[in-house]
Amino acid sequence: MANERTLVCGVQGSFHTSTKFFDEAESDYFGELEEALIHGDPITSSHGPKKGIVETARPPTLEIFPSWPMRHQHHQHPTVEQRKSEQSVESSEESGSVKDTANTTSTGVIAGAQSQVQCRGRGATEGEAQKGLVVIMANGAPQRTGAQQPPPSAPQIQYDNSHTEKKKIIAGSTRKDGKLLDAKTLRRLAQNREAARKSRLRKKAYVQQLETSRIRLQQLEHDLQRARTQGMLLAGCGASGEMSSGAAMFNMDYTNWLEEEGRHVSDLRAGLDAHLIDNNLSSIVDDFITHYDTLFHLKARLAQTDAFHLLTGLWTSPAERCFMWMGGFRPSDLIKIVTPHLDPLTEQQVIRLCSLQQSSQQAEEALWQGFDQLHQFLSATLSSEPLSTDVGADVSNYAGLMDIAIEKISSLENFVRQADHLRRQTLHQLREILTTRQAARCLLAIGEYYRRLRALSSVWATRPRDRALIGNETASPNTVTDLQTIQQSQYAHYSAF
Amino acid sequence: MQYGATTESWYVAAATHAMDPLERVERLASENAVVIFSVSTCCMCHAVKRLFCGMGVHPTVHELDMDPLGRDIERALARLLGVVPPVVPVVFIGGKLIGAMDRVMASHINGSLVPLLKEAGALWL
Repeated sequence: MANERTLVCGVQGSFHTSTKFFDEAESDYFGELEEALIHGDPITSSHGPKKGIVETARPPTLEIFPSWPMRHQHHQHPTVEQRKSEQSVESSEESGSVKDTANTTSTGVIAGAQSQVQCRGRGATEGEAQKGLVVIMANGAPQRTGAQQPPPSAPQIQYDNSHTEKKKIIAGSTRKDGKLLDAKTLRRLAQNREAARKSRLRKKAYVQQLETSRIRLQQLEHDLQRARTQGMLLAGCGASGEMSSGAAMFNMDYTNWLEEEGRHVSDLRAGLDAHLIDNNLSSIVDDFITHYDTLFHLKARLAQTDAFHLLTGLWTSPAERCFMWMGGFRPSDLIKIVTPHLDPLTEQQVIRLCSLQQSSQQAEEALWQGFDQLHQFLSATLSSEPLSTDVGADVSNYAGLMDIAIEKISSLENFVRQADHLRRQTLHQLREILTTRQAARCLLAIGEYYRRLRALSSVWATRPRDRALIGNETASPNTVTDLQTIQQSQYAHYSAF
Repeated sequence: MQYGATTESWYVAAATHAMDPLERVERLASENAVVIFSVSTCCMCHAVKRLFCGMGVHPTVHELDMDPLGRDIERALARLLGVVPPVVPVVFIGGKLIGAMDRVMASHINGSLVPLLKEAGALWL
């Protein structure tokens, strides 16, 4: 292939690059052509179907003749004719046949073939150029011949090494033949190059993909680590070791939920302050309620695997956890908190709110009684066998006992789900009863209430432990100021409210 | 709250063994204003019973685990609700199916339960 390129470079640059030469279709065409030449089949007949492709194909031999203009439309015929001419040149060393065949089409190529033949005895510029080329080709010939497969080319190859111009031209023609015979190899080489190029591109793309995925993975891992530590902190470090994976995931999700809730709160506040029309504010309110719904959905999902986690409230702050009702807020409490912020209320609204309060209280009571009965059943089951006996003594009874207990515990999921369902229904009913602005204020009030509760937890957790001690000692100016600063810092938390 | 005359029903069922469970469900449901299909050991059923009692309603309870044909009834109820058993508690008011616990809760919160009860004559105010 290097020889080919040298040829191309040596030429006056009127050639197209060899990339076009190595076109797939071209290669196919030449492969066929070469075979046809070898087997002596009439070429034209075999080229019918390939006409369209061949129109754009350029015979390799064209590049050998730089001075003749390259015309690509009629390659098929000139190529055919050229080859024929070359073949006849080899066999007969007569220009007559060439002239005959040259009559079919008039292209530069044919003219080239003609002049090539005519140049045999003359030192025309083209001929000299040819000679030079021929010399190069001749130099390259030994390498080229090595790649040739069909034996019929052998005598022609040997012919390459002659020194007469005629012979050189013949050598050129045999060179061409050598090249033709090489076409299969050339084609293969071309295909290999193409395949190699494609696979290099593919590899590049793949590596890039891998790189981006790696970066993304790193980011995800980092985020996961961060969120997990946050989740663990929220839950209290002590319990982190015992937490199930579902619970840890839920804690993470809850942390994200809280962040989003903050955004919803600020959106709502901005909406209220901006005195948006009801339609726009309504969409913000509804988005906020949908946000609560997603939390209930998350909880329902965790309830299937780890109802205990929800009920023990390790996902919330200590203050919230302490006064939690069945894994969340108590709906009637919420209504009590919210009602003062909803003034002015119409009488109809007051009545509806009251009945909502009453219904939620009744529902809560019912659920609580069911939950209590579950507890009673469980107690009864676990204490059914004599508690003083060693477990090992009566394994089968123990196993049976545990089975019943587990069955009871499995209904915990149901209770948590019903409690969340009650909370969700209460929120939606509030939305029904209230106007948009009232609903907005209601949601803000709920958000703020729980934010304060969480803040209380953290303030309480970070309070100085030795306050009691300081209080008992004689107050020195330093300690007084210390106390004051401590108190001030604590009150600073409240100033935001 | 009165416990459904399952013993009577049992004798009747013994006589009419071929009665379709769904038909039986409908018959039982229409006998009283408020009918609850329950299982004695189920705590959620206990919750729903307490809910109605807390409102001053006296529902008729059919404990399916005490009923020899309880299994069939449970399956029929599951088909009615379109869920997989266990399905209890299931509540009928005025012969009409209300549903399982979450439907009852939801209807109570949105204020539709009380009018239904009044309509069925289970509640007077």
